[in-house]
Amino acid sequence: MVMPDKKSNQFIVCPVCEGIGRNKYGISCANCGGMGSGKFYKGRFFYWGLNLSRVIIELSHLRKKIHQILNIIVYVIGLAGLLALAAWVYSVSNSADPEAFAFWREKNDLILIFWISVFADMFVIYRISEEERSQQKIMPLTYEEKNRNIALPDSWEEIRKLPGWRRIDVSKGLDVNASEAVERAFVLADRLGHKVDPLHVFIVILSDNQVAALFSRLNADGEKLAGRVKQQLERIDAVEGRTIFSGIAKEAFINSYTEALDLGQKKVMAKNFIISSMEKNDILREILYDIEIDRDKIMNVLTWFMVNEGLIASHRAYRASAAYKPGSNMDRAYTSIATPALNQIGYDLTVAAKWGRLEYCVARSEEIESIFQNFESGARGVILIGELGVGKSTIVDGVAQLMVKEDVPKIFADKRLMEVDTARLISGATPAQAEGRLMAIIDEVTRAGNIILFIDNIENLIGITSGNEESLDLSEVLAGAIERGNIYCLASATAANYTKFIEGKSLGGILKKIEIKEPVGNQAIQIVESKIGLIEGRYKVYFSYNAIEEVIKLSSRYIHDKYLPAKAIEILELVAVRVAKNKGPESLITKDDAAQIVGEITNIPVAKLTETESKNLLSLEERIHEQMIDQTTAVKMVAASLRRARAELREGKRPIANFLFLGPTGVGKTELAKTVANVYFGNEKCMIRLDMSEYQHPDSIKKMIGDAAAGITGYLTEAVRRSPFSLVLLDELEKAHPDILNVFLQVMDDGRLTDGQGRTVDFTSSIIIATSNVGAVYIQDEIFRGTSVEEIKRTLINEHLNKVLRPELINRFDGVIVFEPLSMENVVAIARLMINKIAKLLESKGIGLKVEDEGLRVLAKLGFDPKFGARPLRRLLQERVEDKIANKILSGELKRRDAVIIDRAGEVLTEKAKAI
Amino acid sequence: MFSQNFLTYGLKISGEIVRDILFFPLWWYSRGLVMFFKKLTVFLSNKQKSLALIVWIKNIFRPMYGQTDWQGKLISIFMRLMQIIVRSFVMLFWVIIALIFFCVWIILPPFALYEIFFQFY
Repeated sequence: MVMPDKKSNQFIVCPVCEGIGRNKYGISCANCGGMGSGKFYKGRFFYWGLNLSRVIIELSHLRKKIHQILNIIVYVIGLAGLLALAAWVYSVSNSADPEAFAFWREKNDLILIFWISVFADMFVIYRISEEERSQQKIMPLTYEEKNRNIALPDSWEEIRKLPGWRRIDVSKGLDVNASEAVERAFVLADRLGHKVDPLHVFIVILSDNQVAALFSRLNADGEKLAGRVKQQLERIDAVEGRTIFSGIAKEAFINSYTEALDLGQKKVMAKNFIISSMEKNDILREILYDIEIDRDKIMNVLTWFMVNEGLIASHRAYRASAAYKPGSNMDRAYTSIATPALNQIGYDLTVAAKWGRLEYCVARSEEIESIFQNFESGARGVILIGELGVGKSTIVDGVAQLMVKEDVPKIFADKRLMEVDTARLISGATPAQAEGRLMAIIDEVTRAGNIILFIDNIENLIGITSGNEESLDLSEVLAGAIERGNIYCLASATAANYTKFIEGKSLGGILKKIEIKEPVGNQAIQIVESKIGLIEGRYKVYFSYNAIEEVIKLSSRYIHDKYLPAKAIEILELVAVRVAKNKGPESLITKDDAAQIVGEITNIPVAKLTETESKNLLSLEERIHEQMIDQTTAVKMVAASLRRARAELREGKRPIANFLFLGPTGVGKTELAKTVANVYFGNEKCMIRLDMSEYQHPDSIKKMIGDAAAGITGYLTEAVRRSPFSLVLLDELEKAHPDILNVFLQVMDDGRLTDGQGRTVDFTSSIIIATSNVGAVYIQDEIFRGTSVEEIKRTLINEHLNKVLRPELINRFDGVIVFEPLSMENVVAIARLMINKIAKLLESKGIGLKVEDEGLRVLAKLGFDPKFGARPLRRLLQERVEDKIANKILSGELKRRDAVIIDRAGEVLTEKAKAI
Repeated sequence: MFSQNFLTYGLKISGEIVRDILFFPLWWYSRGLVMFFKKLTVFLSNKQKSLALIVWIKNIFRPMYGQTDWQGKLISIFMRLMQIIVRSFVMLFWVIIALIFFCVWIILPPFALYEIFFQFY
């Protein structure tokens, strides 16, 4: 029989016994040899070979107890023997003759007991070392298994003939807790009359310590979870016959084993059952999804635990080997010389590492490997290039730690890594003195021969010369020494400084470049996770996994002037301080705590949507219309895109929305933008307004994005950098110079812009609205003629707009919205809005305002001009209403409790209040 | 069913214990011996590492403290020789200790047996 899908991690089931492993008489199936089902994984075959029954479980408990008793007996005998010997020595201690203590020549009952106990001692040694040997149950994959295709058998017969190490009974690889969990799951299923399902396993492992810790890191309530799983368990129908492991339960166990194998564990632990149970049981998956837990999250917490365990284990190994590293400036062979000048200016990283003063370096083995490779291939100097906070110094610390462990290439063996502090080298010295210091150091390093220099921020050395212009630069002194092969040098610089100061100089030519990239995704999570322990210890709080993930996610999305992992660690520390203060010690930091702090730092409301906020968003149109009349299409489009943005249903790489508002003047384009800023960002001031008519000259780009040379910060970039969560209004877009408009191509597409200082400014949290008057007359005419808005829009874009704006720019807008000229009805409504505003002002002075509808209509008619929209209306109201009221207030005609009345003719009258 | 299972399992358990006890002398001179030998070698190599004896021998003609003039070289060779001799003695001490332990491991079972017999006869 040919095995289908044997390579693709698929389960295969014995067709004879249908996966049960036994025939109907309860004897091992002849075809599969009792294996029933299983899967191939990386060249091995895995199956579940354990058949449980209540009796077997009870007996195995009995067996454990017997073994425990045996151990205790042996220990007692061993101890008794020693006591017997001690008692005998005490009995003869009065004798002065040393010969009297030769117990091996004495005949005595106590001595007999001792000699018998020696066998017990030997038995103890045997038991302990055999137990140690059995610790490694899961055989790690060999290099060959990892990388090559191994021929797999084609039938059950061939599987039966596989050697033991390739045909693995998964149940043998469980640790004590895991096998106990399996037994308890079996007992549970047996009691309920079920087959053993992953659900039974899952509910049982919830009481395991590590599993509980894992779910508490995921901020899940274990009891609630257990309750929900229990409900589901009750819905399973009971089956007749003996209790057995269901097929999916076996598959889940096998998957747990391969997961543990991939994670490099020695045994399968209860925590390995989580993912596999979840994958094999749909209901369980649904339950976990419901509380925002998925496979990736569990996996990342598992690796977090592994990282921590690995840290502890490697720390032990590290301390053991660090004991052999010399702690002084001498190498082991005493060939080096004293280095007083260097010791004064430098910091010995290897000594610091030996005493455990450096931070652990995690998930950076690739970068360290490439440093070593560069030196081994003949380079004398290597420069690490990366932004501030990506971990350059930590990588060098990692090198120092490896040097202490002597787990390094020969060039690094038995050497010291000295960090030269450029500040100390230069400070308080004239350039000539600084050069003298550097020369002295280089001399010492050359003669000592056991030193590798590390110069952080090497660009500080450049441009320091002694005397006149022709004399050597400090960096060239160093470059010369490296080139002659006298010293080994590690250096670091940020990318910008490298291009600015080092590239093209002699130093740049000599130092091999290694780029240290900002860690992303799981690498960043792992690095941060390795630092969490410290923060937790310091502030006595606990991080949920979600909080860490959230901080990394949000900081990489919203903070662009700093880099991972530093920026995430910084924020996590802030969160820890805040939570420790507010919630007290021992509290758990959740995703929301983290989001709140990120929100405060960036001024972006990143926290979960609150109920009131979501209600506000759902009624966005109504709220906009409270402040703004008509233009329903425009309002609808804007509101919809805002809702998409807030519910995070948009691509993260563009601004929230880009709109182009077209229409004649005075129809409410700017008004809508203002309203959106007010409604969505909570304040009209969250609007950055650029009158594009000020940017008519190509040079004015400097005004917009800044210029490092002239020391100008850009108006636009600086404003957005300070408050990324705001509305950018580009008024009268078509008036700007076309070159300037090109800048917005990138902004609208990638949501980022680099300012004159070289910083990246993030636009992904802003809304960009451009307005334009292009074709205003055309719109008016066509509307007048009764052409449909769609038609107008098409002609407008094709014939009018493309004359002033490039098609690619027009294309970048999410919506080109044509504002229709206002009708008389609209103007009346606008007039009412304006009057209401005046009424509000008057109310604060205790004066009422009554308006006759007729009067309002008269005012609206007077103030409306088809060419200028509603703009003249404001002027009219100023002249005819506000001015008159002002006069009346000043002349004392209007007092508190009086009322202003606008009559049918639109005239302003006063109504005196009744005297009291 | 129950009694049959109980019987087979009970037999299995007692079998395991008997096997443990019977197998253990064999273990002492096979896997146990190898394990103990390995542990002793690790112990000795660690002692060597902390004494850096091999490093001293390898560098016997290299001047200490970077003193490359002839006086320096002469003193250095002399000093290194002294160091090597002293360190060798310390190392020898550890080797002897290890050897003693190894011998004890080998002769402990027969000796203990002999002593038990000696108590009776």
